[in-house]
Amino acid sequence: MTETRTGADETDPSGRPSTNSDLAVHLDGITKRFPGVIANDDVDLAVERGTVHALLGENGAGKTTLMNVLYGLYEPNEGRVVVDGTERSFESPRDAIETGIGMIHQHFMLVDTMTVAENIALGNEPRKWFGLAVDRDRIDQKIHDLCDRYGFDVDPQATVSDLSVGAQQRVEILKALYRGADILILDEPTAVLTPQEVEGLYDVLEELTAQGKTIIFITHKLGEATHAADEITVLRDGKSVGTVDPNQTSQDELAEYMVGREVLLEAEADAREAGETVLSAADLTVEDARDVEVVSGIDLEVHAGEIFGIAGVDGNGQAELIESITGLMTPDEGTISFGGKDVTEWSRRERIAAGMAYIPEDRHERGLVMSFDLVENGVLGSQRSPEFSRSGRINWDGVRDHTESVIDTYDVRPPDADADAESLSGGNQQKFIVGREFERDPDLVVATHPTRGVDIGSTEFIHDRLLDLRREGVAILLVSSKLDEVRSLSDRLAVIYEGQFMDVTDPDDLTEEELGLLMAGERPEERPVSESTTGTDSSMDATGSDAAFGPETGDTGGESE
Amino acid sequence: MRESIEQLLDRLIHASAVERVAVSIAALLASILVGAVLVFVSGGFASCRTGLDIVGWTFCYNPMQVYYELFLGALGHPLEPGFHPLNFNLATTLQQTTLLVFTGLSVAVAFRAGLFNIGTQGQLVVGGLATAVTVLYAAAIVPGGFVGTIVLIPIGVLAGAIAGGLYGAIPGALKAYGGANEVITTIMLNFVAVGLTSTLLSWQFQDPNSANPQTAPVPEYAEIPNIPFIGFGGRMNFSMLALGFAIVLMIVIAWLLARTSFGYELRISGVQPLAAAYGGVDDKRMTVTSMTLSGALGGIGGAFWVLMVHGRWLENVPALGFDGIAVSILAGNNPLGVGAAAFLFGVLQSGSRSISTGTAVPPELVGILSGLIILFVAMPEFFRMIGMRYGIGQKKAVRADGGARVATDEESPNGGNRTSVDDGDQPAADDGNQTVAADGDQTAADNGGEGDD
Repeated sequence: MTETRTGADETDPSGRPSTNSDLAVHLDGITKRFPGVIANDDVDLAVERGTVHALLGENGAGKTTLMNVLYGLYEPNEGRVVVDGTERSFESPRDAIETGIGMIHQHFMLVDTMTVAENIALGNEPRKWFGLAVDRDRIDQKIHDLCDRYGFDVDPQATVSDLSVGAQQRVEILKALYRGADILILDEPTAVLTPQEVEGLYDVLEELTAQGKTIIFITHKLGEATHAADEITVLRDGKSVGTVDPNQTSQDELAEYMVGREVLLEAEADAREAGETVLSAADLTVEDARDVEVVSGIDLEVHAGEIFGIAGVDGNGQAELIESITGLMTPDEGTISFGGKDVTEWSRRERIAAGMAYIPEDRHERGLVMSFDLVENGVLGSQRSPEFSRSGRINWDGVRDHTESVIDTYDVRPPDADADAESLSGGNQQKFIVGREFERDPDLVVATHPTRGVDIGSTEFIHDRLLDLRREGVAILLVSSKLDEVRSLSDRLAVIYEGQFMDVTDPDDLTEEELGLLMAGERPEERPVSESTTGTDSSMDATGSDAAFGPETGDTGGESE
Repeated sequence: MRESIEQLLDRLIHASAVERVAVSIAALLASILVGAVLVFVSGGFASCRTGLDIVGWTFCYNPMQVYYELFLGALGHPLEPGFHPLNFNLATTLQQTTLLVFTGLSVAVAFRAGLFNIGTQGQLVVGGLATAVTVLYAAAIVPGGFVGTIVLIPIGVLAGAIAGGLYGAIPGALKAYGGANEVITTIMLNFVAVGLTSTLLSWQFQDPNSANPQTAPVPEYAEIPNIPFIGFGGRMNFSMLALGFAIVLMIVIAWLLARTSFGYELRISGVQPLAAAYGGVDDKRMTVTSMTLSGALGGIGGAFWVLMVHGRWLENVPALGFDGIAVSILAGNNPLGVGAAAFLFGVLQSGSRSISTGTAVPPELVGILSGLIILFVAMPEFFRMIGMRYGIGQKKAVRADGGARVATDEESPNGGNRTSVDDGDQPAADDGNQTVAADGDQTAADNGGEGDD
């Protein structure tokens, strides 16, 4: 609509903080609190008209919350929403839509059995015959015009369920345009697309911005943000880390922005003695529900008394790798052995019974039964163990004692075993899960983001307990998106990128810059590539992989002390 | 508008046990009030010789009398002279109560495992036939008299449980291993059960001495009411022993859910399947097992219907299984609550007969009155379940489409319900505040978790 403006913007790359009227969207000091959580903390976002603006951050960084504020789903506790230079206060998405904001959700809001045209016009059908009938010709004409203008190739008469996912996404975009959107918010638009469809989406975005539309692109993938966006705003833990020009930054710098470098007390450990192999995985390959390979032939070994860390930006296959180790997913290829036995076919229950403790990434869905009290949650996973049950009956008194000791030791607040799990704050829920799993007397602890959402004091305590367990000879597999955490705790550190280990090394051998590069999928030049990667050569036999990844007894461990 | 509905659902979900009982009682009173008006007004359109004359209109029915018959008639008119505690009306009430405890438990167990078993009716039909046939064949080799009683009745009940259990395992296995929705399959299997039993009957088990589609009668000593025991005589088709068994079963199921590893796993599977998988529960096996248990309880219902009510299996089995759904919902799927809910249903059934004999009110109107009571009492529980199944977070996602028009249309029936619920909720408003605060937490947690996925 304002085609003349785009040219002006392109010639003025540094014009971001210029006059407000150039900004399609200006969020000023947005704070959104939920009880116990600050989802957005004084976030600023300025989006120029006619550009693609990426909102980059990890899961839970507050990206979606911020966009829900813009889209009228949430009312901010503080801050202003300025659209096209006018301050707005949206009561509902309908207000936002009327102002020219459209949102394309990750999960499409389409009626599968209806045609493209019916879906696009749904709720806004033009009428004829004094409102008695839907004017289908007018819909078709309008869709035709939109397709022509933006170069879309969509058949208005096709049934939505017959379309590919990429085409369905274009229908969603058309629907927003049909409603008159000038500003389009795309929530993780590439999550469901194949690589070819992603390329197609980039073309669409280019065409849209060329025509003066403004795009806000939510993503946690670095490559996409740098590829598609004119500007990138990085969010971390609900705060805005800053806005950068993708041409003047590198991927590893962005990776560091995303995961942050929390100041941690040096929890560095005493020298380790290499124990036996407790967990090993060979050539592990996992496909997700869309049959996309998300873990590609990973080999790993975790030894008794060792912390094996996995660093990486979320969504690079960590979740699937961990779930296949803990028994929640079945790997498509490869074997897993635990305590010297092949456990690839073992059920989750058998793995728990064999001494595998697991701090899951998603505490609300997996780690706790939200509507149960802490006593009942205290036995989750141990409900069949001889410690708490005899001939099918749970010894609830014993469970209560155990739960109270976990609550006490791990400083769970409020210290009330009868409180429902959902009434606890996120950090206390996490402490409870950590306590329950650590006190299982495990041989292996699989800890994913063990300190996410936990305050500094408790973080320190959890780290100390992890090191205690390590000293007691427990094998620990640690996945964290906090770089300092994995760096300072791990004896060996693997960097995962797109389902493969980029490198497995002593964390002290890597500088943060090198780590950032690895997390962004680039190998630092000075490191010999062939030796350090999980190439197929090392998966030939068990000894081969052991040699590649086993604790190198003569390495720089002394230096770090 | 939507906010207030969500808040209301939240408060219902987090209502304490006392609050829920208070809500139920208030709903019962409200339904009586509405029903009384309805009866009174309908009386104005009926013709009768004596009635209440108001400005030229004659109102034939007295609502007080109708509800008197409904509630006290079901107990055998305890306030009238000549009352005997062991009367036929009370026997009918308790007989229905007993049978509905079994079917109510059946539905409740499945519900707690997150499964909607509409097939209790079919499981009852199949279980009942299995009981009748097993007892008939076993009677040939078991001596009669007292020995026959203590052998045949347990065997019959066991046969019903096994047959019902296997019949319930079918939709369980179809869901676990084929992904078939259990609501659809159990509905379809209800029809299959009717056809299957009817075919088996005409093929082998038809009573040769009868033209009616039914099996031969089981021996008299295998009928539960004939067990010598204090209380109702054999002609009343009810035995306190059966009621006692139902109550024991209720306690056993409650104990199973609360105290055992299996019950614990079943409950997690019902509320949070992902957490169940994390805790080492095999979801497929749990689906089959809980459906088997549910079917077995339905089959026991069939066994008691055969051995206590008719002494034989016959076609056109009453809709005990379907009433079990209402009983379970009314009881909030709590095994111990099933007893109270089943008793209410028993009272309504027996009381309806009492109204028909004691007043001129037509049976259709009586049906409406019991329907109103069930509707009013069940709705708060029903909305609790709806609220729990579709947590508030998901509601937001639907709204995110901006298809606000569709959403508002959906709201209006809920809005209508508010009046009925409010009656009961008002006195408990103070307690409610605290629970609302607690939910806020949950909503936030949901949002946080859902965040950027």
